[in-house]
Amino acid sequence: MPSSSSSPLLPAIPYWLRWIFHLLLNDSDRASALGDLGELYQLRLARDGQRATDCWLHRQWRQYPFRLIAERFRRSTGLQPSPLQGEPRRSEEPVQNLYRDLCHSLRSLGRTPGLSATIIATVGLGIGATTAIFAVVNGVLIQPLPYPQPDRLVKIYTASGANRYPLSVADYLALEEQQTSFDQVAGYGNTTFSFNQGDTAERTLGRRVTWTYFPLLGHTPLHGRLLNASDDLPGAPPVAVVSHSFFSRHLEGDPGAVGKTIRLDGVETTVIGVLGSKAGALEQGKDIFTAAGWDLPPRKGPFFITALGRRLEDVSLTAATEELRAINRRLFPVWQESYDDQQASWGAMDLKEAVVGDTGTTLGIALAAVALVLLIASANAANLLLARANQRRRELAVRTALGASRGQLLQHLFTESAWLALGGALAGLGIAVAGLGWVRSHGADYLPRVHEIGFGPPVVAFLLAVTAGSVILFGLMPALQGSSARANAALRSAIQLSGTTAQRRLRRALVAAQFAVAAPLLIGAGLLVGSLYQLQRVDPGFDPENLLTAGISLPGTSYPDEAATVSFWTEAIRRLEREPGIEAVALADGRPPSEVWQINNFNLMDRPTPAGESQPTGPWVAVTPGYFQAMGIPLQRGRLFEQRDVDEQARVVVVDQTWANRYYPGESPLGRQMQSGGCTSCPPITVVGVVADVKYQGLDQPGDGTTYWPFLISGHDTGFFVIRTSGDPLTAHSPLRRVVADLDPSLPLFRVATAQELIRESLGTPRYLSFLVGTFAAVALLLSIIGIYGVMSYFVQQHTRDIGIRLALGGGQARILGMVVGQGMRLVGIGLAAGVFGAFLLTRLLTSRLFGVAANDPGIFTAAALLMVITAALTCLLPAWRASRLDPARTLRED
Amino acid sequence: MARKTLGDFEHQVLLAILRQGGESYSVPIVLELEECGGREVAQAAVFIALQRLEKKGLLTSRLDDEAVARTGRVRRYFKTTPLAMQRLRESRRVLSRLWDGLEATLEEA
Repeated sequence: MPSSSSSPLLPAIPYWLRWIFHLLLNDSDRASALGDLGELYQLRLARDGQRATDCWLHRQWRQYPFRLIAERFRRSTGLQPSPLQGEPRRSEEPVQNLYRDLCHSLRSLGRTPGLSATIIATVGLGIGATTAIFAVVNGVLIQPLPYPQPDRLVKIYTASGANRYPLSVADYLALEEQQTSFDQVAGYGNTTFSFNQGDTAERTLGRRVTWTYFPLLGHTPLHGRLLNASDDLPGAPPVAVVSHSFFSRHLEGDPGAVGKTIRLDGVETTVIGVLGSKAGALEQGKDIFTAAGWDLPPRKGPFFITALGRRLEDVSLTAATEELRAINRRLFPVWQESYDDQQASWGAMDLKEAVVGDTGTTLGIALAAVALVLLIASANAANLLLARANQRRRELAVRTALGASRGQLLQHLFTESAWLALGGALAGLGIAVAGLGWVRSHGADYLPRVHEIGFGPPVVAFLLAVTAGSVILFGLMPALQGSSARANAALRSAIQLSGTTAQRRLRRALVAAQFAVAAPLLIGAGLLVGSLYQLQRVDPGFDPENLLTAGISLPGTSYPDEAATVSFWTEAIRRLEREPGIEAVALADGRPPSEVWQINNFNLMDRPTPAGESQPTGPWVAVTPGYFQAMGIPLQRGRLFEQRDVDEQARVVVVDQTWANRYYPGESPLGRQMQSGGCTSCPPITVVGVVADVKYQGLDQPGDGTTYWPFLISGHDTGFFVIRTSGDPLTAHSPLRRVVADLDPSLPLFRVATAQELIRESLGTPRYLSFLVGTFAAVALLLSIIGIYGVMSYFVQQHTRDIGIRLALGGGQARILGMVVGQGMRLVGIGLAAGVFGAFLLTRLLTSRLFGVAANDPGIFTAAALLMVITAALTCLLPAWRASRLDPARTLRED
Repeated sequence: MARKTLGDFEHQVLLAILRQGGESYSVPIVLELEECGGREVAQAAVFIALQRLEKKGLLTSRLDDEAVARTGRVRRYFKTTPLAMQRLRESRRVLSRLWDGLEATLEEA
């Protein structure tokens, strides 16, 4: 702060006041103002004493900021303090004027509480919803990841053709050893742990990570320590770092729990550290982190490791990717025997992009939709304020007659709008806070980074900017109109009863604009709802009625080999099949319609992939022989799995119809052989049957061709029970729990869900997007209807005499009805035409979120337009009906 | 076109400067106004009125370099312009005419 901001003659100036002086006055003005004030201070001190002078000084301090701000405002708007010399407004004191305007506006708004509340509610809804969605966009898309230097973090993946999949242990170890582009690399594989506490067992989501994971992301522990290199050695004592949520829920938030052991998958594991409550986007929903302890495997696959890297400061993403590809090329010959997809290479992408995924499109649609609602709400408020200015014509005329300048009227009317915007902002703040609370507690299934969504400075700045924008949108036009010279001349004449022509035109234009903005919103909502309807109609390929599914995972300590796991699975199925009400039981490692755990590559023996090309890939689902019957999937050719396949460890698969059509069109796929996972030395696998298609990668995805392989010969330690019941599927939950507990009480069930629930869950994103945009569209339609109702009511009021004459001369009620409705529908028609044209351009942005409907689907366009026309026509009928019931004699007499 | 009007308070500030000899700065003006008006006057109001009158061409201002050199204090002096004198004369003429013959009425009231 420069020294000219203070005066040696004055006591210390309050800090905030110094800033105001600094902002609003140049150096010399500031110095002379404070110098003169200091001189006055000294004079008064000598005359009135310390106490009285200090009081005086405080009064001066209070006066300065308001007067300086008001003067700056007056200069920037060009408002004259007074049009009349010496008139009694004391216009030499703009602070008082502003204060009086503020008070008077508030009283004036209080006289029309219904109208004020409507504007505050509608504008508040627009501001609140826009701010809430922006807060989500800001937290998820705009803010950098909450790690140090997040722009240097990348995710490393394997790319083969259009597919991107994780790295294998062999890949990761080579990457770690050979790379020179990264400060550090880390790898992790997601997993679930069976956590036992007392008699209860709980399935907990977790992650096996290399020790470099935490330092790479810049984590520091809240309690204890994080992993180190010796923890990560194969065979090291088991240790775990736990999330803050796990720490609070299961360890009672006691820092003394660090160093103690917990039972994970039947193994006593030492808790060495606790992460902070705001760990990071990657850790969302994960409770336990254990050391990976990976050792060099016998073959290249399987591919389950997500690798992360922190680029060196001077290495670009392109250069890093080049090095990754070079390492992959060097690695290829080493593992060629077990993996011969030469096309597969490594790539790197910005970590934020990987975390955020494609949520940008969904959030963009939501933000655009809500911004349109705000526009309509502002247009509605402007319309109401124009009507109000018209009602107050006498009051404004009196003000003008008493000498109020246009600037003063403008200031007064604009102050009212500012109050309304302030009310709207407060209401919006409440709505936004409530909305964000809901998103934070319910959004984790649909959105990444939900815990980073909050009311930071950018969101507050956005709220203020949106409020300022809305006050200009809805306050400026009514204020300009209300204070215009022509309007005032007309008002003074007191002849026109319903405002000036310009006002009427403006109000009509606003209503047409509301419909123009509402149309794309309604059409967009129609497309999304239509798309959801189409998705719900997709045949999942199995019978979802009376079907319960539940996951279970067998810890390696208690079930160390394939014999132990097969024994458990077989016995569980046998016991469940004996339970009353259960018709069929099976196991699988995936669940339709959108849970598949293995996308495998394979090479057909009779049609080998040419050298240099990527092998075909598709979902591979391991199932027990009874799976197809339990799921209701019909056999189309060949045979299903049988017990002898398990007994003989047969290398057989069943494929679906899409697979058969894709690889053997017009031929039988039965008896064809393949090698999977890029393994060239493995014995071939034979196709023995073809079944109907089932969706495993989402209802909206075309089938890639699924391959089924036997669950019981593949050493699975995790699987999902599929139980077909004769009645309510949830009745099978209790016997399932009992059977599992009888076999092993330490095993928890996880992700218990009926097939119908799985289908509903898979439609979660399209459903909430349709709901969100649909709600906004309904609000937009409602506001537009309020707008047209207001304008048509005024039309009737304005033409009362006209209508009276027509009725007196024998004009039928039907003609009056037609005239009024026709007037309204003309506006709606103009707005709708513009809106439909806009929708043609805008709905293309929805394409990636649509299924089964085109972005310019004529049916939905027509239906949305008809809905708007019909609701608008019905709305116009109300004032029209009132007009047609007017008593001509009374109308003309009153006139 | 918006007229450059002269408000009550600006009027009073101009008169206070005249009473100070046609050139003054805010401190004596505040004291003069307080003495004549019998009520406290905000220095901020005088400061802003002076700036506004200067903008209207009714005052000119200069920084008192001597005061700066002598005391380190920055003091801005304001001086009335011929336009200000013309406006004041006009104002007095109008007010005198209006007041003419009203003394008795005022006394009775």
